[in-house]
This record gives sequence, structure tokens and C-alpha cells, in this order.
Amino acid sequence: MNEIFDVIIVGAGPAGLTAGIYLGRARLKTLIIEKLITGGLAATTELLENYPGFPDGINGMELGEKMEEQAKRFGVRFVFEEVKDFGKDGDYFNVKTDDNVYFCKSIVIATGSHYKKLNVPGEDKFSGRGISYCATCDAPFFKDRNIVIIGTGNSGLQEGLHLLKFVKKITFIEFLPYITGEKILQERFPKETEFLLNKEVLSFEGEKRLEGVKIKDRKTGEISFVPAEGAFLYVGLLPNTDFLKGKLELDENGFIKTNERCETSLKGVFAIGDVRNSIVKQVATAVGDGALVSRFVQKYIEEKEVK
Amino acid sequence: MSLLKDDDRNYLIEEFSKMVNDVEIIHFTSSDCNYCEDTLKILNEISGLTDKIHLKVFDAEKDEEITKKFDIENMLPATILVHDNNPNLRFYGIPSGYEFGSLIEMILEIGKGKPSLKEETIKRLKEIDKPVNIKVFVTTTCPYCPSAVITAQKFGLVNSNIHSYMIEATEFPELSRKYDVYSVPKVVINDKVEFEGAASEEQFLDFIFEAINE
Repeated sequence: MNEIFDVIIVGAGPAGLTAGIYLGRARLKTLIIEKLITGGLAATTELLENYPGFPDGINGMELGEKMEEQAKRFGVRFVFEEVKDFGKDGDYFNVKTDDNVYFCKSIVIATGSHYKKLNVPGEDKFSGRGISYCATCDAPFFKDRNIVIIGTGNSGLQEGLHLLKFVKKITFIEFLPYITGEKILQERFPKETEFLLNKEVLSFEGEKRLEGVKIKDRKTGEISFVPAEGAFLYVGLLPNTDFLKGKLELDENGFIKTNERCETSLKGVFAIGDVRNSIVKQVATAVGDGALVSRFVQKYIEEKEVK
Repeated sequence: MSLLKDDDRNYLIEEFSKMVNDVEIIHFTSSDCNYCEDTLKILNEISGLTDKIHLKVFDAEKDEEITKKFDIENMLPATILVHDNNPNLRFYGIPSGYEFGSLIEMILEIGKGKPSLKEETIKRLKEIDKPVNIKVFVTTTCPYCPSAVITAQKFGLVNSNIHSYMIEATEFPELSRKYDVYSVPKVVINDKVEFEGAASEEQFLDFIFEAINE
């Protein structure tokens, strides 16, 4: 007889871990399956400043580790494998990884998102040769260099503040005619930081290594070259939904469609955090989703048992 | 002063107590090296938590012969986790930050005596009869790096033809420049095949076979 979990949570970011804490505490037999690291995308954030309860901010990875510890305290089990597929036979769902199949009564998808690529010429060529998507990982390689950050949203600004400790000068490049991130972050950049607004990135240029970015002014059409040895890309998020293979309804941007109870188009399957069609992508809102979904997962399982 | 928090220390004591094998750590240090003192502190502290870890420290300047024997070439601090008398699992640079986790995980892997890899992976690894040198460039602030280091070193645990080295990129700028390291983790196999980012066991193994069959 296979072991049956009440709930399998796919993804150990802030949303999945919170759901784990609540569901474990509600005495549901809970398994969290994580591909890589606990803490999710937030683990690459050096300092979360707006997560309540930490007046001096908290490191994203540290927060993830604390949540993991808290979930384990309530009996939640963890495996580190990549989920490849899922399905349903009779009463139970199966969740398939490379090595194993796990069975459960309900699934919570909390696989999060990753930073989008621009898909312009030179991006693949210079990925790892100047282009980076992880400032905490790669900042030391750009000590005293000029770099560009593509995107002025909160991610771009936040990571820019981290990069300031290493680099000589930052030039931001933004597609929209205004800075999209929060004022409180903008204010912290030194005067010499440049913000090039209303600019489209045409290509990444260089010989062996990145040497600069070719951009076009969206109003005048003027093309210019911004010299830079490093480029950090924060141009938005894409949901991690490859393993769904069309089994759930998605919105026009590829995020999982849910209602206010985080229920998906498939009964017994819930989605929380960045991967669903939420308007705000924050650690605090992901945590909110995790707490909220636990109520409806419990209800779903209780109703199923009664039948 | 202790580097570890009480909780972490207790956790490690408990994990180390589950080890069935003793683990020998050979460490090379120097007075003329930025991170040597801190690295030695870390190693002294963890080896003090259990009698199953045996730390041997050599001064690279004074103990020239043994430094040469282990082919350390000024890559200091150097920490070698010895298993079955093989010196093929190494940490060059300070194993702090996220890499502290890699060091602990590999000590436990050796201590528990059975590498936690898939059957199929172990079978393929055992077929390798040529020397393989894996350099995993990391920074200590990179959350994705331990996975690359640990996979490479578990491979080395199965087959001692595979030499798996963690290299803390910022401490060895010349080497990092030579290998064009601007993004971590960056893995270089036999100076022929390289890739960046996290890879699954299978993908990592495919890169190794690509390098030896080239």
C-alpha cells in the first residue's frame, strides 16, 4: 500500500512553506517537494525590508530557512526533487518526480516564478559573460565596473542597491517613460546613477564579453550605445508552470487562474503565491496565500472524507 | 568566540553522531592569506563537535613537502576531505556563507558511507576510467552554488578518478579571469566543457561524459 499524504505542496518558497506550517499544524499529513532551495526566488534577495516583524530587514534565504524549520516543527516532510507531472487515479492524485511517485488527496502548487528574459540578440551569448539574473550571486565580479540594470521595478531597484556596494556606476534602462519601483528605493541611489527612461533594449554587444547595450528611444527613435561590462535583468516574472502540461487553466500571461480561495480549474488542486494570477508579487502576499489556502484545503479534505 | 549559534551547534552534534565512518580533513593554511585565519576557525570549531572528524593542519610555507605532494599550488586556504585515502574532494577558499552547508553536507556524506545519488547515476559514474577534473566556481552569497558543489563532490565520492574542487571565485581572481567567471555557479570540466547554473545529476553527468569523450 502506498503512503497517502493529505496534501502535497509543490515548491518551498514563502507561499508553500506558509501553507506547510498551517497544514502541518492542522495535523494534516503534509509533504513539500522542492526542486532546488527553500526560500524560493526571495532567497536571492539580500535584504527583505518590507516583510513585517523585522525592523532591520531580513535576508531572504534566512527567512526561508526559518519557515522550513517552523514547518518541520509541525511534522511537515520535505523532499528535494523536481516535479515533472501529476494526475489523478480514482480518489487520489499522484505527483511524479524524476525518481518517485507520491500520492495525495490534494495538491497545492506554489512553484513561484523566475525572471524573464528579454529575448534580444546577444542575450544568450553574454549570459554568464556579463549578463546576470542574480545580483547576490554575481555582484563581486563587477567590482568597480560600470553596469546597467534593465528594469526599474522594485526588483531592479532593490538589487541595484545591493550592487551599489560593489560597482562603479549603475545606469538603469526602463522601457516605460517612468520609474516603476517604489520612491523609497529610488531615493537611495547616488546622484551619478542614471535612469534612461522610455528606452527599448535592442541588443547586447561585445566581442567575448559584454561591452554594452544598444538601446532605442521609444519616442524619438534615436539609437544609442550604453557601455557596460555587466547587465542585470529584472524585466518581470514568468510563472514556473512547465510541469502542468495544460492540465490547469492559465491566464493570458501564463499564470494559473484561481478564484479567491486559490482554487484552480481542477478540483482538489490549489495554487498560491507568484505562480497564480495574483496582482501583487510580494513575500507578504505569498505568505497570505499560504495561510488562506490552508483553510480551503482542510475544508476540501473534510468534505471528501464525509462522503 | 564561537562562530556557530547554539541551535546550529546542537544540530551538527546530532548529525555528526549519526556518522558511521570517521572523516579526515587535511587543511593547508598560511599567515599570508586573507581568509586563512577564518577558515581555520571554522574547521577547528566543527572538528571540535565530534571525535569522528580528524583535522590535520599544515602550514603551506613551512610544510613545503606535503603541500607539494597534495599539489596545492598556492591555492590557500585549501581543505581536503579525505575518503578511502583519496584526496579528490577539495574546497579552495573559505567554506562560509552558503558553502558552509556544502562542507557539512559532504562531511556527512562521507561519514554516512553511502552517497545519496540515484542507482543509475552511480552505475554510470563507476564506468569512468579517465581522470576528470571538475572546478566549481562559487561565491559564498550564492544560494544556487551548493547544489553544484555537492553534486560534483558526491560524484567524486563514487569514483576517485573524479576530482571535484569548490573554488571561491573572489579569492582567486586570476583563476576566475582565466576561466571567464562572471556568473556562478560556473562548472568547468577538464578545461573543456563548461556550464553555468544548477544542473540535475543527469545533466551534470552528461557534461562529464561530453568532456571525457571529446
